[in-house]
Amino acid sequence: MDFLDYLSRSGDNLFELSLEHINLVLISMGLAILIGVPLGITAHRKTRWNPIILSGAGIMLTIPSLALLAIFVPIFGLGAPPAIAGLTLYALYPIISNTVAGLQSVSPAIVKASRGMGMGSWRRLAKVELPLAWPVIITGVRVSTQVVVGIAAIAAIVGGPGLGNEIFRGLRSLGSPGAENLVYGGTLAVVIVAYLFDAAFILIRRFTTPRGIR
Amino acid sequence: MSTNSTSEVMIELDELTKTFPGQSVPAVDKLSLTIQKGEIVVFVGPSGCGKTTSMELINRLIEPTSGRIILEGEDVTDAQVDSLRRRIGYVIQETGLFPHRTIAQNIATVPGMIGWKKGRMDERVDELLGLIGMEPSQYRDRFPKELSGGQRQRVGVARAMAADPPVMLMDEPFGAIDPITRERLQNEFLRLQAQIQKTVVFVTHDIDEAIKMGDKIVVLKEQSHIAQFASPEEILSSPADDYVSDFIGQGASLKRLNLTRIRDIEMATDTPTGTAHEELSTLRQRLAESPWSTMMILDDQHRPMRWVGGRDLNRANAGEDIAKLGLPATATVEPQATLSDALNELITSNGGVAIVVDGSGVFQGVVDIESILTAVRTMREENSQFYLAQKEISEAID
Repeated sequence: MDFLDYLSRSGDNLFELSLEHINLVLISMGLAILIGVPLGITAHRKTRWNPIILSGAGIMLTIPSLALLAIFVPIFGLGAPPAIAGLTLYALYPIISNTVAGLQSVSPAIVKASRGMGMGSWRRLAKVELPLAWPVIITGVRVSTQVVVGIAAIAAIVGGPGLGNEIFRGLRSLGSPGAENLVYGGTLAVVIVAYLFDAAFILIRRFTTPRGIR
Repeated sequence: MSTNSTSEVMIELDELTKTFPGQSVPAVDKLSLTIQKGEIVVFVGPSGCGKTTSMELINRLIEPTSGRIILEGEDVTDAQVDSLRRRIGYVIQETGLFPHRTIAQNIATVPGMIGWKKGRMDERVDELLGLIGMEPSQYRDRFPKELSGGQRQRVGVARAMAADPPVMLMDEPFGAIDPITRERLQNEFLRLQAQIQKTVVFVTHDIDEAIKMGDKIVVLKEQSHIAQFASPEEILSSPADDYVSDFIGQGASLKRLNLTRIRDIEMATDTPTGTAHEELSTLRQRLAESPWSTMMILDDQHRPMRWVGGRDLNRANAGEDIAKLGLPATATVEPQATLSDALNELITSNGGVAIVVDGSGVFQGVVDIESILTAVRTMREENSQFYLAQKEISEAID
C-alpha cells in the first residue's frame, strides 16, 4: 500500500489523534507553567532555594522519558493522567531556568529605582520584573513545548492519548503490509504539530512583548 | 555650620551608622546632619567614602544599623518603608526608567501607587513634561529607548517629582552624560529648583558640580565622616583642613567663578538688534546710531541668529538674505549659568561676548569679558580684608 493512499484514508484519524496530542501538550504545558514560573520566581528571590529548585528540575531531564511516564502508572493507573504528570515534570526545567534567567536580566538600576520609589516587592514583580523577563520566559516555554510534543508520543505506552497510538500500532504490526506507513504517518503528524506550536509561539511572543522592549 | 533660626528643618540625621554584615568597620559611622527645607545639600567625596550609602540610608534602601532619621519632625527610622519612599523623590545616574512603559506611565509611577485619579495623573504628566522642556504631545507616548540620554535623565527627574515630594535624593544624576548636556541639565535643574524649592540631597564625586549645585556642601571622608559642612563660598575660601583643600584641588580661585551666576552680574542690554525682515537701510541706521560695532540679527522667535557688522550691511545688496551675512551667533548661556560657563563660551565666541538667552532661547543681552572681570574684582575685594590687615600689622612692626 502506498503512503499517499494511507494518508488519504487515515487523514481523519490522524487529525483526531493530532487534536488529542495537542490537547495533551496544552494541559501538560499549562500545569508546567503554573508550577514552573512560581518556582523560578522563588529560586530568583530566595537564593538559598536556587540550587535545590534548579537541580531538582534538572534531574527530571536525566530520567529516561519512558520511565518518567511509567512511574506514575502505579499512582494514577493507565490513561492520560500518568502521561500528563510525566510530561509536566519533563517541561519544568526550561521554564524554571528561563524564569530565573529572565528575572536576573532585569537591570539592577531598574530594580533599585523601583524600590527607591516605594514599589513593594510583589508590585515590582508584577509591574516591572515579570514584564521585562517575559521574552526570556516565553522562550523557555517554547523550548519546553518542543520537547514535550516529541515525548508526548510515548504517552501511548501508558495508555495515554495522542499520535503515539498510531506510531505504536504500526510498530506492533511491523512486517504486515503497510505497517510502516502508520509509523511514518504518526511521526509526520508529530512534526507538523511541533511546527504549529512553534509558529504559535513566535506570534504569541511578538504580541505579548511590551512595545518598549521589542 | 550656621543654622538659620527662621528656616525649617527638613531632614535630621542623628548618629546614623551602617555596618554591613561581615565587616568590622562601619561604612557610615555616626553621621549627624541637619538639612534645612528648600536647600540643595551636596554630598561630595572620593569614591568609597560612603556618600551614596549615606544617601541610601535616608530613604532606607539601606537600613541603618543604628541612629535615627527624622523627616519633617517625624522619626521615620521604623516607619513603613514603602510609604516613606513615596514621600522622597529618587533619581539615579542610570535613570532606571522602565523600558516597557511609556514616558507618561514612567512619570506617573508614584502617583499611580498612591491612588491618584487618571485625569489628575494625565494633567500632572503634561505639566512635568512642560517643566522639563519636552513637548507633552510629542513625548507622552514614547518609550525610554526612543529618547536621548539627556532626555531620559530629564524624565528621571520628572518621575521623581511626580507626586510632589518635599525631598529629593539625587545620586550622581548627571554623571553619565556628556559635558555639554550635563551643563545644560545642571542649569535646567537650578532653574527648576528656583520654582519648586525642594529639599535636595545630591551626591557627586565632582567638586565643580558640588560648588555649582550646592547651597551647602558636605565634604565626606572615609566612613562618611564629615570633613566640612558649609556653603560653597566658605569651602573654597576657608577649607577646614588639608583633606578639604586637597579635595578641592588646584585652582580654587578659578572655581570661585562657579559661584557667581550670569543673572547676578550686569549684562549689556543695549546691543542693537534687528530681524531679517527689516530693510537694510533701517538696520544700517540703527547700527550707526548705537555705540556698538556689530548688531544682532534675531529670528522670528527673538532668538539670536547672526552677528552683523557695519561693513557687512554696507556690502550687502538689497534683497540679499541677511540671515547669511556676518557670523553665526554662537556662545549662548542662560541666566543661571555660572561665570565659568560664560567665560568658557566667550573664549570661543564669534562676537567676543557671551549671549544671554532665557529658557526658550529668547535674546536677553550680552556679557563681555569686562563685566566678568568686574565681578572677579569685586570678589577679590570682598576677600582682601585679610591682606590689608596683615599689611597694617607689618607696618606697625616696622
